[in-house]
Amino acid sequence: MAKVYSRPQSLLPVPSGFCPGCLHSMAIKLVGEVVDELGQLDNTMHIVPVGCSTLNLLYWKGDNLGSAHGRAPAVATGFKRVCPERLVFAYQGDGDLASIGLAEIIAAANRGENFTVIFANNSTYGMTGGQMAPTTLVGQKATTCKMGRDPQTTGFPMKMCELISTLDAPAFVARYALNNPKNINEARKGIKKAFEYQMAGKGFTFIELLINCPTNWGMSPLQTLDFMESNTIPYFKPGVYKDKEAEV
Amino acid sequence: MAKVLMKGCEAVAEAAVRAGCRFFAGYPITPQNEIPEYMSSRMPEVDGVFVQGESEVASINMVYGASAAGVRSMTSSSGPGISLKSEGISYLSSTKLPALIVNVSRGGPGLGSIQPAQSDYYQMTKALGHGGFRLMCFAPATLQEAVDLVYHSFDYAERDRNPVIVLLDGCLGAIMEQVELPEMVEPDTKRTKAWNMSRYADEPRKGKGLSPVYPEFVLEKENMARGQLLKSWEENDVQVEELFLDDAEYVIVAYGISARVAKEAMLKLREEGFKVGMIRPITLLPFPKKSLRNLDYNRVKGIIDVELAIPAQMHDDIALEVMERAPIYEYGRSGGMLFNDEEAYDAIKKIITGGAQ
Amino acid sequence: MKKSTVFSGSGGQGIMSAGIMLAQAASEVGKSVTYLPEYGPEQRGGSAKCTVIINDEEIISPLIKKCDNLICMNEQSYKKFCGQLKEGGLLILNSNRVTSEVERTDVKVISLAVDDIAVELGNTKVANIIMLGALAGATGIITPDELAESIKRKFASKKQAIVDLNLKALEKGLEAAKAVL
Repeated sequence: MAKVYSRPQSLLPVPSGFCPGCLHSMAIKLVGEVVDELGQLDNTMHIVPVGCSTLNLLYWKGDNLGSAHGRAPAVATGFKRVCPERLVFAYQGDGDLASIGLAEIIAAANRGENFTVIFANNSTYGMTGGQMAPTTLVGQKATTCKMGRDPQTTGFPMKMCELISTLDAPAFVARYALNNPKNINEARKGIKKAFEYQMAGKGFTFIELLINCPTNWGMSPLQTLDFMESNTIPYFKPGVYKDKEAEV
Repeated sequence: MAKVLMKGCEAVAEAAVRAGCRFFAGYPITPQNEIPEYMSSRMPEVDGVFVQGESEVASINMVYGASAAGVRSMTSSSGPGISLKSEGISYLSSTKLPALIVNVSRGGPGLGSIQPAQSDYYQMTKALGHGGFRLMCFAPATLQEAVDLVYHSFDYAERDRNPVIVLLDGCLGAIMEQVELPEMVEPDTKRTKAWNMSRYADEPRKGKGLSPVYPEFVLEKENMARGQLLKSWEENDVQVEELFLDDAEYVIVAYGISARVAKEAMLKLREEGFKVGMIRPITLLPFPKKSLRNLDYNRVKGIIDVELAIPAQMHDDIALEVMERAPIYEYGRSGGMLFNDEEAYDAIKKIITGGAQ
Repeated sequence: MKKSTVFSGSGGQGIMSAGIMLAQAASEVGKSVTYLPEYGPEQRGGSAKCTVIINDEEIISPLIKKCDNLICMNEQSYKKFCGQLKEGGLLILNSNRVTSEVERTDVKVISLAVDDIAVELGNTKVANIIMLGALAGATGIITPDELAESIKRKFASKKQAIVDLNLKALEKGLEAAKAVL
């Protein structure tokens, strides 16, 4: 019988430590599949952030370098500038990237640094217990906005793809949702494109992946997928926001 | 090699380049702007990398990334910027990555003033960031000494796998003096160092990780090693200039620019027959404890702490060694105000002739 | 012999570059030198001051209370620093801008209309070089030839006309100092 599915070689053969139903597992697995496909595991450097995605340390088989909260794009800048031949990606959550690390992500994107950022957006601070994130939806409850996010006092969810795509330097900026197989396949293609752009030296690439957080959203995994379909996706619209090649 | 007249910040930058530094990231702040300005044109000449970071926070993290790739890396700033770098410095120490951090200090607290001061002593020697790590801290008094200390700083950083601080006051950053520049060290292009995360090294690096997060039982061991390192610095790495301690009745303790001004005053006082000596710490950490501990307190009538800091900060380290065997007097200015040769002379003379407390 | 010179005036008057040229010239002939600038946060028009110490031996303190020579390019700097000149020291004033009468009788004074001389030479920017010439002529802390070499090095990348203009300014300063002393 033909083997049609197996664990990516880029991930260690250990069980996931992410909560049951958490799409972080899916996101890092997709990255692993693409790295496998490109044959780049030995050459890849994963810049690890602070948050639930720090757990990637336990699964990523290739090189990894831990960074301070929000600073992954600066660390990646330093590393990639002295090792331009490496395939470098930073994997950041929404608190890490869109709140404390806002300056670092925008500046790295604006400099057109030749690495890829995978932005896993689950609208919450997962590891610290579900506080309001910069991407928490209006009305969505969190432990620091128990009545739901009130835009009068906390503003609106940060649209990072939209922000970054206004800059001149980035080469590829796209958002995908990981809520169903079709979208997951799209995301895999997008990650691959970003990595290929980086390997061709085309500059900064940014992939936002909409994921869930069953634990802190207080829902079953299946309920989170429905919530994404009816709430997250309508606000954070998937699509390609910038593609330098397509512009030419 | 012939001596050249150079500005402090530029001499320090050139010394780092000659030590093999090939990555610099920094952010503008007075009075250290000539370091990034110099590096922006010098780095490309030696196939190095210069990045103007979007902040001090970003700059230190860029240094972290570059150092992880096995390249001698450096950043510089002044007090307010060093505060912002604290986070990154703690991470560098946590992951045991070498780096050189130069602080050209100015008046504080807060935005303070852009004029020279020595009010970052506590920050440099006790609390560069969270988590209880320490860094070796060198405090040169002349440009030649600054050049030599910067030149060797990477060797210490790599030996200990810990960042190193070179603390200049704004005077030394701005002054022009003659220096003899050292030979160019060829950088380790193979990047063979143990912490190297790049793939140039002979050993396959696949699956190598460097992380600032530790299981608690490992972290405790790491911290014990830090304690051992601190002890070994105190045993082996103290650098100090001692002057006239064999007859001194009053001992001036001063570092950096303060030491130079106080030394001029001391020499004048000695000409007049006053038995004054001096201890000039070159390493603020490790502090030259033994120099102070082993003074003959039957003869020494007083210690005079001279600093550009009010309240005095080095005072605490001095007091721990003097152990109340002699009174400790303080003289200094603060906030960017300086003292000159005659003012220092007057103040020290007043202390030793009993006119001051 | 340790000799200290303070250059003072406002930003844009070439105070710092005059100090650096003197320091360079002394350094080239093997003297020990320190040059220490002091300035405010303004990029233009603020106060400017620098101290150059030249010595045969190592210079210990670059921070000094009293100087041997004081150059004042404007009224504010004269008022601020006049008291820092040693007894018997040399005061060189830009009489186009220093309007106060010199009250001190214990110092040598050279008062030069350097702005006027610079205009006659065709460029107001050379006022600082005229002052340097006067300093060399009056003190001997540096020889005119050594200064001329320093000027040639500083303007090495500029047109010959610029070098000549500055050398002429140096000459004017020397002559003026000799005429006064």
